[in-house]
Amino acid sequence: MRMWCVGLLIIGLIAFSGCQPSDKTADNDTDNATDDTQEAQQELKIAVAAPLTGGSAAFGEMIQKGAELKQKEINEAGGINGRMLTIVFKDDAGKESEATLVAERIVNDKEILAVVGHFNSRCTLSGQDIYDRAGIVEFSPGSTNVTVCELSKWTFRNLYRDDFQGKFIAQYIDNELTDIETVAVFFHNDDYGRGLRDAFVAEVEKTELTLVASEAYEEDTTNFKAQLTSIKAKKPDAIFISGLYAQAGLIVKQAREAGITSQFFGADGIDNEVFLTTAGARATEGTYITTPFLFGEDDPKATEMAANFEEHHNVPPDTWAALTYDAIGMIAEALEKTYNPEAELAENRSAIREHLAAIDTPEEGYKGVTGLTYFDHNGDTVNKPAYVKVVRDGKFVRAEKQLLELK
Amino acid sequence: MWAQLFEQFINGLVQGGIYALIAVGYTMVYGIIQLINFAHGEIYMFGAYFGLILITVFHIPFWFALPLAMVLCALLGMLIDYVAYRPLRNAPRLSALITAIGISLALQNLARIIWSATPKTYPSDDLPSLFVSGISDAGEVINVIPLPGGGTLPYRDVFILLIAVALMIILNLLIYYTRIGKAMRACAQNATAANLMGINANRVILATFAIGSALGAVAGVMVGLSENVTPNMGYYKGVAAFAAAVLGGIGSVTGAIVGGLLIGIAEAFGADLHSGYRIAFAYIIMILVILIRPTGLFGKATSKRA
Repeated sequence: MRMWCVGLLIIGLIAFSGCQPSDKTADNDTDNATDDTQEAQQELKIAVAAPLTGGSAAFGEMIQKGAELKQKEINEAGGINGRMLTIVFKDDAGKESEATLVAERIVNDKEILAVVGHFNSRCTLSGQDIYDRAGIVEFSPGSTNVTVCELSKWTFRNLYRDDFQGKFIAQYIDNELTDIETVAVFFHNDDYGRGLRDAFVAEVEKTELTLVASEAYEEDTTNFKAQLTSIKAKKPDAIFISGLYAQAGLIVKQAREAGITSQFFGADGIDNEVFLTTAGARATEGTYITTPFLFGEDDPKATEMAANFEEHHNVPPDTWAALTYDAIGMIAEALEKTYNPEAELAENRSAIREHLAAIDTPEEGYKGVTGLTYFDHNGDTVNKPAYVKVVRDGKFVRAEKQLLELK
Repeated sequence: MWAQLFEQFINGLVQGGIYALIAVGYTMVYGIIQLINFAHGEIYMFGAYFGLILITVFHIPFWFALPLAMVLCALLGMLIDYVAYRPLRNAPRLSALITAIGISLALQNLARIIWSATPKTYPSDDLPSLFVSGISDAGEVINVIPLPGGGTLPYRDVFILLIAVALMIILNLLIYYTRIGKAMRACAQNATAANLMGINANRVILATFAIGSALGAVAGVMVGLSENVTPNMGYYKGVAAFAAAVLGGIGSVTGAIVGGLLIGIAEAFGADLHSGYRIAFAYIIMILVILIRPTGLFGKATSKRA
C-alpha cells in the first residue's frame, strides 16, 4: 500500500512537471527533428520566445496567436520558396532565468534560423548575450527598454523605445490634460519599469508638471497599500503606472479602495484586457494608456488581418498579435531572399541579420499591418508613433485626443 | 506624518494577519513532525481557488463558500500527509523535505493546468456588498472606516483582522483545552512516548494538517477578496509566512502569530521608508532576531533530536 502511494506520487510528479507548455513544445520539436529528416529539409524553422505562462502570460497568448496566423497564411500561400515555415514556441515565463535557458535551447537547436522574441525587456536582455555569441537574430515584438538593441547587433525590434514612450506620456499629460499639475510615478522594479520611469521623469522636469512621488514595487507584489498610502499623502493629480497589466489592475483597484481619486496613466505594458477585468470597470474608467499600434478603419491591410485573426482564433487581435504578425512576416521575407539550403547554419543565420540590417531607409521598409518598419544602425525602429487609448465603460477605446508630433 | 504612519501600521496589521494565518500552518506541522511543509503555500493557493470556484461556478454565497473552502483544503492537507509524508515518517528528514518541495511544485503546476496562469479575481457582484469598497458614483469612498488623517480602512480588511483574531483564539483554546490539543502537545514533545501512552500519532498528525490547511484556506480566500488569484501566489506569501514562523520561533503557535504581524508591519513601514526595499526590511528584521535569539522570539531551546 505504501509503495503504491509513493509510486503514484512519483508518477504524478513526473506527469505534472512534464506538462508545462514549454516542455511540451520542446518535446514536440525534437520528435519532428529526428522523425523525418526528409521532411525537415523541406521546412524552415524559426522560434518564437514569449511568456506563455507566468505574470505576462496574457501577452504571450496574443503573441502566439499572431504568429500562428502569419504562419498559416504563409504556408497556405505555398510557403517560403516552396518550403513550409515551422514555428517552435518557447516559454520564458517572463523571467530572466527562464529566458536564458530558452535561449540556450534555441541556439543549440541546429535547425532554428531566427528568433522572434522575447517580450519582456528583462527577458530580451537576458537572452541577448547567448544569441549574440551564437550569431542568431533576436527580433523582439514587444521590448521597449532603451538599451535592448544598442547592446547587440543581432537584436532588432519593430516598435518604439521607452525614451520615446516616456517622453510622449509626459507631453500628452502636459499638453492635452491641462488640469493636471502634479504627477506621481509608481514603477515596476525591472528593466522595463525603471527605464520607462527614467524617461518619463526626465521629460516631466522639462514641462510645467511637478513630480511629487516615485515609488517602486517588485514582481510578486499583490498588496500595494503601503506604497499607495505614501503616494496618497502627496495628493498627486495623476499617477503614472510604469509596469504590467496584472499588477496595474490591482494597483488601480486598491487605490480606489484607499480613496485615491487621481487620474491614472499607463503605458503599453497595461495594454491587455486582464487589466480591466482585475480592477473592474468603475475603478479603471478614464485611465489613459499608450500603445504602439491601434487597429483603425483607415488601413485596409490591418482591417483584413483583424478579420482573418478573428475568424481563426475567435478573439479580436491586439497590439502584440499585430507586431508579432509583422515580425514573423519580416523574418519570412528575409528567409525568402537569403536562405540557401547548401549553406551552413551559421551562414544562413547571419544572412538573415544582414538582410534586416540593410532595411534602413523608409523606401526599403517593410510594409506590415503596424505600418512601415525600418531600422536604424542599432536595429531600433524609430519612425513609429505612439497612440493613446482610454477606458470607457470597461473597454479600451481610441482617445479623442491623439498626439502625433512630439516637441 | 503621524496619520500616515498610523495608516501604514494598519496596512501592516492586515497584511500581518494574513501572514499569521499561513505561518500557523507551517509552525504546527513543524512542531509535530519537524518537517518544513513547503507545500503549505500551495494549500493556501488552492484555498483561494476553491473559494473562487465555489462562488463563481457553483454560485454558493460567500458565507458558505468560506467554510466549504476550509473543509476542502483540510481534506487536501490530509491527503498530502497521507500520500506523501506518512510513508516517509521514519525516513531521513531530508527525504521528507525534498518530497515537500516536490509536492509544492506538483500542486503549482496542477493549478496551472486546471486554471491556467491568467490571474483571476473574485467577482465583486457575487461578494457581500459590504466587502466591495471603492469610489461610488457620488464620488464618495464607500464601505470603509475613515481613519484619522484621511486614511481609509475597508470593511473587508476589518473582517480579515477580526477573523484572524477569532481563529487564533479558537486555535489556542483547541490546543490547550481539548483532548486533541493535548494529544498534539504530547506528540510535539515526544511522538514515541505519546504513542506508547496510547495516542494515535498518525491521527494527531492528520488533524494538525487539517487545521493548518483550513487556516491557510481562510488566508487564501481573504487574499482573493482584495488581490488576485494565480497559481504562483503561494510562493511569495508562503516565503513571507515561513519567515514569520521562523522569526516567532518555529514550532510555537504564539510565535507564528506575533511573527506574522511583525513581518507585515515591517513591510509596510519599510515600503514607507523606501518602496524598493519593502521586502528587504522584513527579512533584515528576521535576520537580526535570529542572530540574537537563534530559536526565534518564542522558540524553546531544545536539544537536537534525530
